[in-house]
Amino acid sequence: MKPFEIVRAEGIAATSKAAGATPGAVFKAAGIDLLDRMKERQFQPPALVDLLRLRSELAAVKVEPDGGIAIGALVTLAGLAAAPELADPAFAGLREAAGIAATPQIRSRATVAGNLLQQARCWYLRSAAFPCAHKGGETCFAMYGENRYHSVLAYDDCVRVHPSNIAPPLLTLGAEVTVQRGDAVRRIKLAELWPERPTAAAPDHTLAPDEIVTWIHLPKPAAGSRGAYCESREKLSFDWATTAAAAFATLADGKVVDARLCLGAVAPGPVPVPAATEMLAGKVPTAALCDEVAAAAFAGAKPLYHNAYKVPTGTAIAARALRLAFGIED
Amino acid sequence: MSAPHDVKVGFAGDAKVLQVQLPPGDVPPWDLDKEFSVVGTAMDRLDGVAKVTGRARYTFDVNLPGMLYGLLVRSTIARGRIKSVDTSEAAKAPGVVAVLRTKDDGHRVRFVGDDVVALAAETLDQARDAAELVRIEYDVEEHVTDFRKAEGAPRLDGDGQIVDPWPESADIEAGLAAGKARVEATWSCEVQTHSALESHGTVAWWKPDEGVLEVWSSTQAVSGTQQAFAAAAKVPQNKVRVHAEYVGGGFGAKFPPGAEGLNAVRLSMATGRPVKLMLDRYEEHTCAGNRPSAIMQIRAAADESGKLTAWDYRSFGGPGYSGQQGGTSWPTYYVAHLPRGARRTAHKDLATDTDAGRAMRAPGRPQGFFAAEGALDELAVQLGMDPLDLRLANDPSPLRRYEWQLGAERFGWKERRNPEPGKPRDPSRPWLLQGAGLASATWGQLGGGSWKVTCRIHQDGTVEVRNAAQDIGTGLKTVLAAIVAEELGVPLSRVRATTGDTIDPAGPASGGSTTTPSLAPAARLAAARARQKLVERVAAALGVDAAQLGYEQGHFRIDGQRKLSFVDACRRIGPEPIEEQGERFRNYAAYQDHVCGCQFAEVEVDARTGLVRVTRMLAVQDTGLVLAKKLAESQVLGALIQGISYALHERRVLDHRFGRMLNGDFNYYKIAGSVDTPVLDVVLVPVANGGNNVGAAGLGEPPATAPAAAIHNAVANALGVPVRALPITPDRVLKALATKARAAESKKEGD
Repeated sequence: MKPFEIVRAEGIAATSKAAGATPGAVFKAAGIDLLDRMKERQFQPPALVDLLRLRSELAAVKVEPDGGIAIGALVTLAGLAAAPELADPAFAGLREAAGIAATPQIRSRATVAGNLLQQARCWYLRSAAFPCAHKGGETCFAMYGENRYHSVLAYDDCVRVHPSNIAPPLLTLGAEVTVQRGDAVRRIKLAELWPERPTAAAPDHTLAPDEIVTWIHLPKPAAGSRGAYCESREKLSFDWATTAAAAFATLADGKVVDARLCLGAVAPGPVPVPAATEMLAGKVPTAALCDEVAAAAFAGAKPLYHNAYKVPTGTAIAARALRLAFGIED
Repeated sequence: MSAPHDVKVGFAGDAKVLQVQLPPGDVPPWDLDKEFSVVGTAMDRLDGVAKVTGRARYTFDVNLPGMLYGLLVRSTIARGRIKSVDTSEAAKAPGVVAVLRTKDDGHRVRFVGDDVVALAAETLDQARDAAELVRIEYDVEEHVTDFRKAEGAPRLDGDGQIVDPWPESADIEAGLAAGKARVEATWSCEVQTHSALESHGTVAWWKPDEGVLEVWSSTQAVSGTQQAFAAAAKVPQNKVRVHAEYVGGGFGAKFPPGAEGLNAVRLSMATGRPVKLMLDRYEEHTCAGNRPSAIMQIRAAADESGKLTAWDYRSFGGPGYSGQQGGTSWPTYYVAHLPRGARRTAHKDLATDTDAGRAMRAPGRPQGFFAAEGALDELAVQLGMDPLDLRLANDPSPLRRYEWQLGAERFGWKERRNPEPGKPRDPSRPWLLQGAGLASATWGQLGGGSWKVTCRIHQDGTVEVRNAAQDIGTGLKTVLAAIVAEELGVPLSRVRATTGDTIDPAGPASGGSTTTPSLAPAARLAAARARQKLVERVAAALGVDAAQLGYEQGHFRIDGQRKLSFVDACRRIGPEPIEEQGERFRNYAAYQDHVCGCQFAEVEVDARTGLVRVTRMLAVQDTGLVLAKKLAESQVLGALIQGISYALHERRVLDHRFGRMLNGDFNYYKIAGSVDTPVLDVVLVPVANGGNNVGAAGLGEPPATAPAAAIHNAVANALGVPVRALPITPDRVLKALATKARAAESKKEGD
């Protein structure tokens, strides 16, 4: 690790301003992935701005007056998984996604915003030996290289994979995010955190270097809604998903009022599947319909040489998430 | 003069009396009827608390005053010659104290990670900074890092099956024709890295004033490296001391000092300061050895009773640039009944421009057993036979036959085996496929050498047992202490075992499951001699004849009356401790000079995602005399977990365009973790061997031969089609299922 400066300030605005005033500074929350990358010299920022100072403000889960939920950016994954405010079955997928990520040690430390904003996974991207296109080079080494864990969908000229467990369920819940830069506060849709076209040149997220995620907002779900999250992973201990899916469903009189599906780990960003909502609206959900919708979610897949398995595996995972959300026995 | 002695040997199912020739000066062997008070009990690992609390000092933990940090600057290309190396900037970098070349211009680098320059700096970060300033130019040569594409590789079809013709053999052809079922297929497996938690490395301290070299090394061969370090440093061997009090795993990769050890010494001699040079995780995966990949082809046949009629086996190994030690081996006892001509084995190593393979826990066996036991299962399926019955039709070992039966009953083999491979058990969950598989284990070792062990009894009644050999995690300290406690009739808590220091009598390298069986008899003899000496001294102190003085169960007796406890007696031995050595004699006749064993695995496969989970395993394992029950079981448990990991997860992923490993970490080099560990059951079958005064057999290797084979067979039973490749990842499972579906489809069309 190269020497670096730790910058600390009091309060959100001052912390953001301190970051803005420190050339090359990056934010550090738990630092789970950041410090590993620094130790391995993949990334050598001259300064880290410590966000854990903001824990007194941003480490709570709150029920808003309108019944919605606000999740502080510094809530840990373990805290999220166990939050009593998220006991409603509508949030079951979110709790599951947070509760099975990584290891107990990491979950008790890693933050919600850190999970959303972490660097994409790709063994070429994360090796100093490969000057890949996402690091300003010219080539995506994975495109025609070793790509068993890479993207099968919605990629352009870079096949890195978005690793956030909780992004898919949050997207199906219609999450919004409050971000703050200096004194300026804005609220955006969660999806806006990531570039619309995740090309090689596009950054991992859309925030300014001195912009801080402060809260994640979930609207109050309709009564009787249910969320679900499923992922395929080769190991149960400490592994990343090879495919993931979150589903959310609201039923009335046995028919679908609203249904949403979002895929993870199969593309450079989380992949909402609006077609799922259209295909399911007004229908009586069945296992076969779930299979159909899941197949449609992967209809545009363009698997690479080593990862064709992700299409059937991901389809099965998406169908399972839908079934769980509909309460159909798997 | 050796003395004839009758010893009762064998196991519960097969006991007999064997006449052996005792070496002069030795004690008679422990036999089948011996009742132990310490040996074989479930004592805890003596250094367990030190290990889990972080107090155990590994090489990595050794920090000395004025110590520098060394590192190796490594090749970034897979093959080429060094044109020039510019270290001038590195030498000027802050904190750098020494920069040395390890290879001269014109020398070839043989893999990505081959060492070129060694340097030492005040801190590790300064050393890394300096390493980035070293400029190496190469005459790059074309490389081949995929052993399937190396010179001499067999031709493979799209499914990875060897298509080259077999060498002619009329006997094999006749044997194949005599069978009712016949299999001919290719199996393959990938490179597995040792992944010891403590990486390779050395702390070297050259003391110029004394001309002494003191070394701490994470090694499997303390005594052997003393010689290697002395030779490399051109220092007399009597001025080299090597320590390895604790070693964080080896699995076969830590015998020689390695580039890291030798260059730590060079850097220390160049600077006159201690130098620590430990590999990082990427180097550990890429520069410190591995279990070679292999392709194995078998054609075999069996008659309707399941008895093999022919066995033709050939394999190709991928041991990296060394081009050797990539051999595989398979369970030959199954074909012991075949005429020589009807069984054949051939092997060829294929050199590639990658790190050289090294011995790894039962070298060559997990690969070969996976293929061979897989072939046996395919024959059983064709014959409509239970694979267990096919094993029993061919396995001549009385001990393993006993173990097969015992294991089958305990595991619930008949119930767990899927009677209709590929069919789900629960029709409401048609995607959940379950199956069970089995495989045999073996290894041969009763130890050897003429090693000596020291036993010392102090005036306060405490006891020491000492040998220079290293405890690489197997529990050698505990085992030596248990033997001495047993022989002296004292509680285990009174014995302290010291290992891993060349100041003590030399010990064996920990390879081939030899350490415990080699040292155990010497430890017992040392304790027996110390006990005799104690009796003599106590007799003198009491003014009685030593012959009158009995010693039993921790008490000295005269005419059957308790006179003195062990501790009271020790007070009378005077200031000079009793110190005796026991030596290791050659093995004499034994019940068996190898071990058997068998394993059972149960799996669940999700046919939609291709994900496999091992849900249960049983290992039935003999290891001669069990010295420390929990530690022996722990060896087997470790082999099972490592085997699950090998069967389902572990694979070195190289980008062959660059010859570089992509998953040289523990993120994407996947090792089974706690949640991946299923219900594991271990049954140790005690065997009295004779052979030497203890009759223990090594246990590192034996249980490592079978797990991947048993798991692969379980997956085939679940799927109704064999995968024939390790690791069994979802892509391979889905491909096997698709192949099966296509075959069924074309059969339907054919009908």
